[in-house]
Amino acid sequence: MSAYIDQFPEEAKVIRSAFYASFFALALGAAFGLIQTLHRTDFVRIIPAEMYYTVLTAHGVLMVVTFTIFFLVAIFTWAVTTSLDRGVEDIRFTWSWYGLMTLGTAFAAIAILAGFTDRTEISADVLFTFYAPLQAHPMFYVGLVLFVIGTWLAGADWFRSWWAWKQENPDKRIPLPTFMVLTTMIMWYLATLGVATSIIAFLLPWSLGLIDTVNPTLTRTLFWFWGHPVVYFWLMPAYMMWYIMLPKFSGGRLFSDPLARVVFVLFLLLSTPVGIHHQYLDPGIAEGFKFIAMTNTMFLLLPSLLTAFTVVASMEHGARQRGGEGYFGWLGALPWRDPVFTGMALAGLMFAAGGFSGMINAGMNINYLVHNSLWVPGHFHLTVGTAVALTFMAVSYYFIPQVTGRRLASKQIALVQVVMWFVGMTFMSNAMHRGGLLGMPRRTAEPEYAGFQFETAIGTVGELNAQIALGGVLLTLSTLLFIVNMSITALNDRDDDLPSNTIPEPLSGPNEAPLVLDNLKLWTAIAVVLVIFAYSLPLASIVERGGLFGPGGDAFPMFLELADSFGFALVGETLSAMVSSLLETLRTVV
Amino acid sequence: MSSDADALERHIGHDEFDPVGTLALIGIYFLILLLMWLFMYFVEFLGNDLTVVGMI
Ligand code: HEM
Ligand SMILES: [Cu+2]
Repeated sequence: MSAYIDQFPEEAKVIRSAFYASFFALALGAAFGLIQTLHRTDFVRIIPAEMYYTVLTAHGVLMVVTFTIFFLVAIFTWAVTTSLDRGVEDIRFTWSWYGLMTLGTAFAAIAILAGFTDRTEISADVLFTFYAPLQAHPMFYVGLVLFVIGTWLAGADWFRSWWAWKQENPDKRIPLPTFMVLTTMIMWYLATLGVATSIIAFLLPWSLGLIDTVNPTLTRTLFWFWGHPVVYFWLMPAYMMWYIMLPKFSGGRLFSDPLARVVFVLFLLLSTPVGIHHQYLDPGIAEGFKFIAMTNTMFLLLPSLLTAFTVVASMEHGARQRGGEGYFGWLGALPWRDPVFTGMALAGLMFAAGGFSGMINAGMNINYLVHNSLWVPGHFHLTVGTAVALTFMAVSYYFIPQVTGRRLASKQIALVQVVMWFVGMTFMSNAMHRGGLLGMPRRTAEPEYAGFQFETAIGTVGELNAQIALGGVLLTLSTLLFIVNMSITALNDRDDDLPSNTIPEPLSGPNEAPLVLDNLKLWTAIAVVLVIFAYSLPLASIVERGGLFGPGGDAFPMFLELADSFGFALVGETLSAMVSSLLETLRTVV
Repeated sequence: MSSDADALERHIGHDEFDPVGTLALIGIYFLILLLMWLFMYFVEFLGNDLTVVGMI
């Protein structure tokens, strides 16, 4: 019974480093968030409008790729080592995937941030979706590839631990936290095939000048093949925290281990064959395929609703053990003064609200009302921007002392911080949703137009903008409090009576879960089949209509000359000759 | 963080635990959902012009 750092001092170092990388990205991302919030709403405009896209790309990539994924590899490493009660097999391997992820981030970030200066031609103003014909400097794509390979190796590290553990414990059930990590990673391997293909086969060669054009519908579709499951890559670690940490902090036990396993299996199966629901308005994809994606999406609501039930029931169990009574009275018995608990509970509450707008987004016909409007950022600041981000910040108040051995600088400030995030997001997100319903566009630096006024049913555009700006300021302040609190904690003196690093047993344990749930091979196979069903026809028809490399058109901006000057040209010609002869062969075979 | 097992007043096992509070909260969630669907139908859907799907 001791703190994590005493149990696994070497692993604690890697985990710490991953947390710090993630916090660094969060801090930068929040600074950009503030700039764009104040710019859009016309309160403070410190950048020229063209630079808005550099800021927005940096905000998107740093938040949803760097911050979230570095954080989750940290807690996944914690979860596997803690629940298997064994260190990683080879700590050098662990450092090497961490190093690769860091290198990849540095590449991508340098390419994006270079967009701020005219001293170099390098830029990557392509937003986090990098849709063609927007083109980034090759360094951006290379960075993404390295980063993703880093995550693949991280997954291999955890699988390796599990295999080694299984040799020694042949008859035991996979411990729940490890089960969650493994199912999430299988989903991730499947999902990243899409984005890896898009980048390695098309976008990177295209930005290097090896191929002239790409088929934008194809690269978009491959992007969303990954782009939807990536939201579960953010959410499943948050769910893991709700399943195993929330009961711990509310003084109860997880209601049901089998139900938790069912939820993670459902996510593995259903996360990927739904990506086309982000393309309801894309021309070039038949309505029928969109309808299939919508149906799968509606099924995907199920595991989230199951989660709502299990997690709330586990909190209720805690509250009743603490003496709570009645239908609603038990809510008062929860430990609201504890920032870890309160942050997670508020994050869950916001996720419930995000569920409402998510159901709107998911409907093919209603989606038309909100597509590409400010409603959409309103929605995902509730989900990834709060359900995930606030959960991560909240559990950091537990994890950072655990992996550094230092005393948390201030629990009071931590409590203020999580509540401030909740309040700030209530303002910002609510006003964004309403703005979207009026037709205010997203991804727009200056959404005011000569001779045109958005019509409001209640309130005014000025009031909406004020709420967005106020919310953005509160969120930035909250981030600042978080970063300062964490920094002081990391430098604080040792805490000799840290709570021990344990995960309470569930009320209904793993032995009541059907054995088949642990059959990862079976679930992987079904997941693959579902993906083939959902994607083979749409992809085939996209390629048939537009060709693998598209109907033509120019990239924006062009990096061709740049790539030439690096001496890529020769390699380029050889490679593209190889690719086209390969395609010829394929064509004759098919 | 304080809230591990120390603050507990009693222990409730699997069989004695009846999550009525959870039922109540989820009931409220579905009620809100229902009302918002109604609201959406009348205000957003009937209140706006037709959206065209397929051929005109
Ligand atoms: C300090 C807190 C934050 C503020 C003030 C903020 C503000 C904003 C604003 C105003 C936009 C919309 C810009 C536009 O469409 O023109 C935006 C977009 C976005 N935000 Fe945030 N945000 C914050 C935190 C987060 C967090 C924590 C995440 C995710 C973990 C996140 C992810 C995103 C993403 C993915 C976009 C879309 C970028 C795009 O359209 O390409 N934000 N943010
Ligand atoms: Cu999606």
